[in-house]
Amino acid sequence: MVDPSDLQKKLKELSDAYAAQLPEKLDQINRAWKQLPDNNWDDEYFQTLHRMVHSLTGSGKTFGFALLSEVARSLEEFLKKIVQTKQLPDEEQRKCVQVLLSELYQVSIRRDTSIAESSGLAAVEPLSCGGVNPKLVFVVEKDPVLTEELKVQLGYFGYDVVTFNNLDNFCKAMESHPNVLVLMDIDFPKNSREGIQTIKKIQQERDVPVPVVFLTAHVEFEARLEAVRAGGMAYMNKPVNIGNLIDKLDSLTSTLPSAPYRVLIVDDSEALTAYYAAILEQAGMVVKSVNNPLNVMATLLEFTPDLILLDIYMPECNGMELAKVIRQLDTFVSIPVVFLSAESDIDKQMLAMELGGDDFLTKPIQPEHLIASVSSRIQRSLILRSFMVRDSLTGLLNHTAIKDQLDREVAQTKRRGTPLSFAMIDIDHFKQVNDTHGHPAGDRVIKSLSRLLKQRLRETDMVGRYGGEEFAVILSNTDGETAQKVLDVIRQDFSQLRHLADGTEFFTTFSCGIADVSFFGDATKLCDAADRLLYKAKQAGRNQVVLGHAPPISGSDFT
Amino acid sequence: MAEKLARILYVEDETDIQTVAKLALETLGGFSVQICSSGNEALQRAPEFRPHLILLDVMMPGMDGPTTLHKLRELPQFVLTPVVFMTAKAQPAEIAGYKDIGAVDVIPKPFDPMTLSNQVQVIWERFHG
Repeated sequence: MVDPSDLQKKLKELSDAYAAQLPEKLDQINRAWKQLPDNNWDDEYFQTLHRMVHSLTGSGKTFGFALLSEVARSLEEFLKKIVQTKQLPDEEQRKCVQVLLSELYQVSIRRDTSIAESSGLAAVEPLSCGGVNPKLVFVVEKDPVLTEELKVQLGYFGYDVVTFNNLDNFCKAMESHPNVLVLMDIDFPKNSREGIQTIKKIQQERDVPVPVVFLTAHVEFEARLEAVRAGGMAYMNKPVNIGNLIDKLDSLTSTLPSAPYRVLIVDDSEALTAYYAAILEQAGMVVKSVNNPLNVMATLLEFTPDLILLDIYMPECNGMELAKVIRQLDTFVSIPVVFLSAESDIDKQMLAMELGGDDFLTKPIQPEHLIASVSSRIQRSLILRSFMVRDSLTGLLNHTAIKDQLDREVAQTKRRGTPLSFAMIDIDHFKQVNDTHGHPAGDRVIKSLSRLLKQRLRETDMVGRYGGEEFAVILSNTDGETAQKVLDVIRQDFSQLRHLADGTEFFTTFSCGIADVSFFGDATKLCDAADRLLYKAKQAGRNQVVLGHAPPISGSDFT
Repeated sequence: MAEKLARILYVEDETDIQTVAKLALETLGGFSVQICSSGNEALQRAPEFRPHLILLDVMMPGMDGPTTLHKLRELPQFVLTPVVFMTAKAQPAEIAGYKDIGAVDVIPKPFDPMTLSNQVQVIWERFHG
């Protein structure tokens, strides 16, 4: 029902608006205090002053200014005492109010790290995922050759490109498209910085700035500075390096899937598990509860949580024993286990940690505290996990991880009787690329293919870097023929991708072998077959996708 | 079985608090929220909006929260409607005082927009429980 990123954005906007009004509010209070009538007691005047401060007390924290609320509360208490006496404040009291007022100014710039963070929302957002995902790009460029080039190249990476060669048309289009990325040339006939000025105008009319990447032949610092001031997210010199540009666009739009965190709660009290589950669910997590610890195993394997929240004292089997058992399962060696208990004895807590716990939360726990602890634990463990299973250059699954995944997927498809295809891809003549253009250029080619694969395949498909210039793709729920069609389109597009190295352009191709799981009994045989088919594609002249049509029994087609 | 909490009338004089509360209650709680900026406005709008629950700021210029509650109770259709005070004065003695005059509960201000709708829901369920 709730889109967390949307809500977070709105809360942030409200907090920004509140922050913008704060100086004026403080000035009003300050003025009212300075102009306090000093001849006789004016009850109404003082009530007004009191109410202004009271309003800060009651609102600051809601908008991310917790300290402001606290200081305002002290000031309010103090003013209340004065009101009760109905006497003008004496010298001492005036000094106190002065001090509190200046403190109020000081804390008014102390916004909580993030309004979203304090409420647990930031953590719900998976790593480096922006939430918004505009794939529409407006290219504003007067050079028709470059315009066309950008349109084609960006198209390969899944961006929809609309081009403009004229600023007026662009401005009109912007009015009806709130969610786009803009690639903006700076230099236009009328004025050499007209592009920047146009963006500046557009940004002023928006609450949320539009992401802009400036493209330019200008290299002076002033132009860069002006571009930053206009809200430019990046500044790229021509000739444009497409690889860098795509990296930039990808990071601005972020294509990572936003899977919610999964938490398993084990506690014998149904009321408590329901309460904790409600808190975590409200923060956007998926929660499963188990009230009988003896049932944990089945749920664990099926639900595959990112974190386990364990009560220490339960009948049948206590939390510490349970943690030990869970840790003995290979799959759950690294899963964060957090104990939750009323136990405040530090020795007992230490013992619990030794037995496999990562953290110890003492009941009763504040909802925000629970959300924050759980999500930061998960976030860290996911990062660590990603180091273990991801290839550092491409961010794809590494060799071991993709093979593990293939084992799992094949077992599953055999059980369910669903189709699956496995593809091996190898970049053609890659050694030549490295020798001619250098290793950095080679790395960029690898990165561009990995991006292309990630963008073109579905989220359910898995892509791994198998070795040097070799990639592996698991296409779930896809038979061989469909897989061949999909990968052949990718092959054609890849061969059109322009790579740049030291000003010279070059193109590369890849070969691909695909094996369909229905012909093979297990993952190893499937993998070997794909490998042989890849070799066949290479033999047949490269730059092609070969699908195996193996007879179900012998597979002699490949020998 | 208690009726589901759907319509909330929120009486609050400060516009920034109005906005954030409405956003929080609507987005996270899925409630339908009617904002009133004063006690008087609340008395006028309540009969038509037929709120299931009323959130009342205590300290408002003109008619304050307790007075608004008192006047609402004079309207026959709101004799039993649960009313929750929102206040930055949340000392135990004060809370007890508000309950004495007919509030079912008190939500301390500043509230956390992320948990507000849950707080309200819990109060609603306890009221009917």
